[in-house]
Amino acid sequence: MTEANTPAEKEEIPFYPNHVSTEIKVVIGITFIAIVVGAIGLFAPVGLGVPADPMDTPAHVKPEWYFLAFYQILKYIPKSTGIWIMIVGIIGLILLPFIDRKPDKSTKAYRIRFILVAIGLILAIAFSILGEIS
Amino acid sequence: MTHNRRKFLLIGLGIALLATAFFVLTTNRAEAVPPDNVPVEAQQIRWEVFENVSLTASDQGQPLAISQSAEIPPPLKDPCLHCHITGEHTNLWTPLFRWSLFGMAGLVFAYGMYRSSSAWFSRKPWKSFSMRTVEWIDERYQIAEPLSKVLGKPVPKFATRWWYCLGGITAFVFVLQGITGIMLAFYYNPTPEGAYASIQFIETQVRFGASIRMIHHWAANGMVVMCFAHLARVFIMGAYKPPRELNWISGAFLLLLTLAFGFTGYLLPWDQRAFWATTVGSEIGGSFPVIGDLVLVFLRVGWDVGALTLSRFYSLHVLVVPILTVIFMGSHFLMVRRQGLARPL
Repeated sequence: MTEANTPAEKEEIPFYPNHVSTEIKVVIGITFIAIVVGAIGLFAPVGLGVPADPMDTPAHVKPEWYFLAFYQILKYIPKSTGIWIMIVGIIGLILLPFIDRKPDKSTKAYRIRFILVAIGLILAIAFSILGEIS
Repeated sequence: MTHNRRKFLLIGLGIALLATAFFVLTTNRAEAVPPDNVPVEAQQIRWEVFENVSLTASDQGQPLAISQSAEIPPPLKDPCLHCHITGEHTNLWTPLFRWSLFGMAGLVFAYGMYRSSSAWFSRKPWKSFSMRTVEWIDERYQIAEPLSKVLGKPVPKFATRWWYCLGGITAFVFVLQGITGIMLAFYYNPTPEGAYASIQFIETQVRFGASIRMIHHWAANGMVVMCFAHLARVFIMGAYKPPRELNWISGAFLLLLTLAFGFTGYLLPWDQRAFWATTVGSEIGGSFPVIGDLVLVFLRVGWDVGALTLSRFYSLHVLVVPILTVIFMGSHFLMVRRQGLARPL
């Protein structure tokens, strides 16, 4: 654990009831959103498409939106390469703390990581949009 | 003391009388007053009519088409006494009103009983049952002190900033998914013949079924969004660095499990989109190096997407993935608890 730098960060509140009450506020908020979503569902249900027919391949097959970017990338590169990218990506994600283990707290490293996330997000959104319109 | 006891007793009796009066007044419709022009034999409930209703729809000996089987026969008059009493066959608001009325009266009554009962049972000074229960348990297991230590553990104040809540939101949405998922599983039928029709049934016939499915659908998307947001937050803050490596790894597994939830759940409606998305998805899984065919056969249970694929995806979706998620989530929380939150810059 790293030390607290400023007095503001040393301030502590008890887990119960102070922190729990914050969490309960979040829970109430999410529940409220869920109830609103459910109420909308009464008037505009999720609905179903055409029943599955193994004999009839539709023209455009699309996965869920969170697989869409990866699916779109797979269209440009050979499938085996894409699979390797996925495997390396997952293993890299899991092993990230062992790859980047320098314990720095500098603003520079923070900014670099922020920019990396921003670039990744923009790329993912771009590929998802490409996948959606294609 | 005595005065109080008598007061509570009187209040309880009054509430009981009031509740009885309300019950009698509002349920007398159930005691079917027949109109004058109906002959006596027609006033009897003919149970065989109701028992045969389910046969009439399919007595041709032919299986029903999907669109037909999703429709239940129109409601009959007075299908059963309790449906009549609760007003289920007429509308939603009558039973809702009665439940809240009697429910509240009952709660007030129960609270009065509770407050007064301890005075009936002992001559010691009044102590609430909750207090007694706590003391009774603590006498035996001595959990008050460790529990207060757990609950009183100081948390840094910055933990209440909103971006520290993303993980907690994900966890709560998971709980929400569990609840709505169980509700959907009550009516869902994981066979190629029944899946589509059962979801039609949930959306059109089950009370609030469309709401529950809507919540399940959107909370699934929200959970993925929150997972990625939490991942980005932890990555940007560098909270994965030593000593929190194992926590990051459990989080990465949780992300993969969430995606597995999405992938397996997508097939369950058994419509064209679901079927072909799964076909393509398992095909991508099948192009894994070396173990490709094994993955493909494991996912599809054979070479094609069919009935067994649906069973497998259903069991993965409702049993395997949730259990793994709970295990990883538990360890995730325990590690956070043990190590504390990573300090911000």
